[in-house]
Amino acid sequence: MDSPLHRRHAAGKAIAGLGMLICIASLGRPAWRAAGAYLLLLAAGTAAAKLPVPRILLGGAVVLPFAAGIAVIAAVSGDSERAAMVLVRAYLSSLTTLLLVASTPLPELLAGLEKLGAPEFLLQVMQFVYRYLMVLREEAGAMRDAAASRAGTVRVLEFRKAAGAAGVLFARAHNRAQAIHRAMVARGFEGRMPALRQLPFRMPDAVFAAGTLAVAVAVRAVLA
Amino acid sequence: MHIPDGFLSSRVWAPLDAVAAPAVAWLGRRAQRGFDHHKIPLMGVMGAFIFAVQMINFPVGSGTSGHLVGGALLSFTLGPAAAAIVMTSILAIQALIFQDGGLLALGANVINMAIAGVLAGYLPFVLLRGSRAGVFLGGVLSLMTSAALALGELSLSGVPMPRPVLVVSAGLFVVSALVEGAITVAVVGALEKIQPGFLRTPAASGGPAAVALGAAAVVLGGAGVFAASERPDGIESLARTAGIWSRAGSLVQTPLADYRLGVGSLAGTWAGRTVAGLLGILAVYVICRAAARILGMRKGAGAAE
Repeated sequence: MDSPLHRRHAAGKAIAGLGMLICIASLGRPAWRAAGAYLLLLAAGTAAAKLPVPRILLGGAVVLPFAAGIAVIAAVSGDSERAAMVLVRAYLSSLTTLLLVASTPLPELLAGLEKLGAPEFLLQVMQFVYRYLMVLREEAGAMRDAAASRAGTVRVLEFRKAAGAAGVLFARAHNRAQAIHRAMVARGFEGRMPALRQLPFRMPDAVFAAGTLAVAVAVRAVLA
Repeated sequence: MHIPDGFLSSRVWAPLDAVAAPAVAWLGRRAQRGFDHHKIPLMGVMGAFIFAVQMINFPVGSGTSGHLVGGALLSFTLGPAAAAIVMTSILAIQALIFQDGGLLALGANVINMAIAGVLAGYLPFVLLRGSRAGVFLGGVLSLMTSAALALGELSLSGVPMPRPVLVVSAGLFVVSALVEGAITVAVVGALEKIQPGFLRTPAASGGPAAVALGAAAVVLGGAGVFAASERPDGIESLARTAGIWSRAGSLVQTPLADYRLGVGSLAGTWAGRTVAGLLGILAVYVICRAAARILGMRKGAGAAE
């Protein structure tokens, strides 16, 4: 993927995204014009990133079921404006995060966060979680298929069998981690993951971050 | 239990982020101490394991099923600091990739699940020296603490919590906490059969005094949560967050004294009581650790002589 937004430095995008999130979170009483302006801004960002706008707009809605539960409670207790604002803030925040992540590969984003001072150790652990997420999920799926082919249906395993499966998965993951570590040491790992490419933080990145912040704050100040 | 953005008010998420960031940095340093770098792949892969193990359904009652949340299990196998880091990285990945939990609310979620949840799970395990009861209580307390904190933060943010909603959610939390305890015991049992030696059974640190203190903390905190869920009086007043804030402020200054003396004055606020109970657990935990360290140092000095 390549677009003006993809080319911006992850640190700049993280700053812009956090600024947007804070402005959205601080929308208090009904601020429909500001909310609309943020929606337009995010849609424009999505278009600039050459991402499918309708899909991203829909993707932000994944928070709505949970948000709706709380909004209904608020509405029933007679505070329908607050209920509506909870929905609006949750949706816009989710959309902001989605746009940030969709336009930034995770390794780049983590490198950007490191530049902003996030603890390196945590970011390295996150990289490993991300890398082995699907591997272990596939392994769990394979174990489930194997159990199903031996014993018929395993839609819900018996409690103790399920515990056994979880235990096996734990032991396999643990052993796998040790094998991975040995392989990494054999390749010269000394506690630091080398970054493949270090993008420099250039003038356009600073302009992008400052510009987005300025627009977000201006919308918050003028329209809300 | 992952709080999305948009729910917490700024005066709740901002201080929690401000507390969580240095806490995670400190825990990261602590997790690295005394281990070589093989911890990094291990912790990452165990984080991925927590994602994967949620595909395994445990039958609970008729037709429903639960899955392992895993904070307590991680603290038994990796130690509390490393477990907190693994849970933090899981929460961050969930917030970024799966839109599960907000970015600004990450500090709140980290405190609820990765820090308080993991510590609350580890405490009974240490105090009961890795026995089955300790494992079970660890699973239960870890989930209960996270849930109570999340509920408290939401109500401090002014999310209305009418009585029936609160009763239902408290009931659900208790049930899922018991399920987590049962699953944790079962998985730990299976693990010991498959390949013994995964559990880092804590060395008998402290002594009877520490055990008594810890048990008292668990009983206090547990009783607070249970009593609160049984008698959710005055929940309507939760909407008036300002009142709770001033009380919470006085609680922070002298948590234990307020908890003991404050039964009368705090009786109305469910959140106040729960927070007091949890602060009590935290304070006693810190005292336990400090006492254990001092005792350990004395023992070490004695051995050297």
